Amino acid sequence: MSWELFAVFLGSSIRLATPLLLAGIGEMVSERAGVLNMSIEGMMLTSAFAAAVGAWATGDPLIGLLIGIIAVQPVALLQAVLSNTLRANQIVSGIGINILVLGATTLAYREIFGARSRAEIPGLAKIKPPLLGDIPVIGSAVFEQVWLLYAGIALIVATALVLRYTSVGLAIHAAGAEPKAVDKSGLSVARIRYGCVLFAGLMASLSGAFLSIGDIHTFTEGMTRGAGYLAIASVIFGKWRIGGTVFACLLFGAATALQFQLPALGINVPNALLIMLPYLLALLAVGGLVGRQMAPAALGEPYRR
Amino acid sequence: MTAVNHGRGTGTWPKLTLRPALLVPVAAVGFAALVGLALIAAIGVPVSGAIAAFVDGTFGSLYVIAASINRSTAFALVGFGFVLANRASLTNVGGEGQIAVGGIAATAVALYGHVAALPLGLSFILPMLAAVAAGALWGALAAVLKVKSGTNEVISTLLLSFIGVWLLYWCVQSPALLRKPMTSSATLPESLEIPDETKLPLLTGDYSFPLHVGLPLTLVIAVVVAVLLSKTVLGFRLRAVGLNPVAAHRAGISYARTVVFALATAGALGGLAGALMLLGEQYTLKDGFSSGYGFDGLVAGLLSRGSIPGVIAASLLFGFMRSGGINMEMAAAVPTALVVVIQGLIVITLAGAALVIERWERS
Repeated sequence: MSWELFAVFLGSSIRLATPLLLAGIGEMVSERAGVLNMSIEGMMLTSAFAAAVGAWATGDPLIGLLIGIIAVQPVALLQAVLSNTLRANQIVSGIGINILVLGATTLAYREIFGARSRAEIPGLAKIKPPLLGDIPVIGSAVFEQVWLLYAGIALIVATALVLRYTSVGLAIHAAGAEPKAVDKSGLSVARIRYGCVLFAGLMASLSGAFLSIGDIHTFTEGMTRGAGYLAIASVIFGKWRIGGTVFACLLFGAATALQFQLPALGINVPNALLIMLPYLLALLAVGGLVGRQMAPAALGEPYRR
Repeated sequence: MTAVNHGRGTGTWPKLTLRPALLVPVAAVGFAALVGLALIAAIGVPVSGAIAAFVDGTFGSLYVIAASINRSTAFALVGFGFVLANRASLTNVGGEGQIAVGGIAATAVALYGHVAALPLGLSFILPMLAAVAAGALWGALAAVLKVKSGTNEVISTLLLSFIGVWLLYWCVQSPALLRKPMTSSATLPESLEIPDETKLPLLTGDYSFPLHVGLPLTLVIAVVVAVLLSKTVLGFRLRAVGLNPVAAHRAGISYARTVVFALATAGALGGLAGALMLLGEQYTLKDGFSSGYGFDGLVAGLLSRGSIPGVIAASLLFGFMRSGGINMEMAAAVPTALVVVIQGLIVITLAGAALVIERWERS
């Protein structure tokens, strides 16, 4: 493989990993606080749709992004109410939200764009960071990416710092590990968990917007195609740590990128096998390839005082 | 992980008035249907016309009635499996993949297993058994991961679903697998049509009312599962493991074996659903074969709150709703996605109402 081809592979791996990264880190924070968000998939789809419609209607992808972010918050709030206040089964309520969003976005898409439209939608700009982007041969192929990726990296670094060095991070960790202790210390478990689910919603909305107006500049029905579930798998793979989750997302991104790279190299592998590869890797990962899992002790359990 | 329901069997209610486990699902369906009507009005379709199209699509002819019932059997089988696994506090969301591998196995045996000439109905029974075995294997995989590494079965069954669906895509894309011989570049990526002998016999023998043997089979399975859950040692073991795995272990009940049994059986029923869909309805395997039936079956299982008659009622509801939805799209220009919205609302409402039901049942 030549350097140019390798750089293209690296660049597309990063591009394909971006939605997983954004959604995965949000999910990780939520799971650290004890809430399993199966609705990541639905939140991403909501934002992919809302951002696409916003960008299409106003002609401004930035407004589209904003509309995507705003549209997800009610969905995240619904998940937070269900899993905290109503103490609903978090898996069932999440899947319900995913079904609802799939139906609602498909319905709304048909109403707005018609059944067979492939409307071209204005998308977010790509940037080439100085220095990195100027590296000969590989610079622009690897680092020329949609700016949302770089914004996302900044957010992920900020999240890591907050989790590690602040009392907020400690409280989030405790809400997932020892909610009783949090309660006794005078903090509100519910408030922490609401905040984390809304944060997961924010990250999922960036992820969904990246899919539609960042990457392919259009919306297709059900376009997330299980990316939200891959994001959840990456959290498990990453053992509920930032570094591990980022690594898992990059790995899934690379596995997806192979779909386009191997045929270009003349290597003949069944297309279906390559499409399946990230899910297969995810299954191996959650199936114990990474060792016994250390989930937050209270993950998935609604807290009752 | 909390269970979806709390292991209430069928017919164990002391009084028949105001059963919340019955009332709440009915209210949820009613609420979702109202939202559906409001949405129809919102997209500017005359509501009366849409309702007329819906009714025509559900009860307009003997043919659509039979098609709806046939579809309901697939939902019900997946739903029974969900209920059975859920008795052990396991949530099987892998119906879609289990249907897919069932469809693959049934197609392979029906087309290439030399079964067409076999007597005594073996020509369609063997493909069915192959589908059951494939589905059971798919479910058991998730169980083994759960027992060996503590993998949450929700994630593993979901991932296995994606893998199963793409496996099917692979089978119908590749001429070396199940794709029909390529005579030109226009050859569709699908299997050959299965031989007539392997198609499920019709109960009436009349194609204008094509109810097939899947219906009595499903009813027999319903009775077996209901009895298994409420009257047998196996059912007791499932419930014991679901309520308290540690106590069950002390009582000598094997956690591993119970989990494998529960998920493999749920998978087997999903595989059988795939066989009914292929041998009784579609006859050729194509991409998109499972078409959301696994999720509909899951929702039926959820709605039933652990009752087998409840699964049947919900499956019939969804079977007819799909027919009505299809006709609404064709005759009244209401996208079928509306039916998906309604289903999502039903699941969310029920999940949110679980606390209410629990409190109500206690008081």
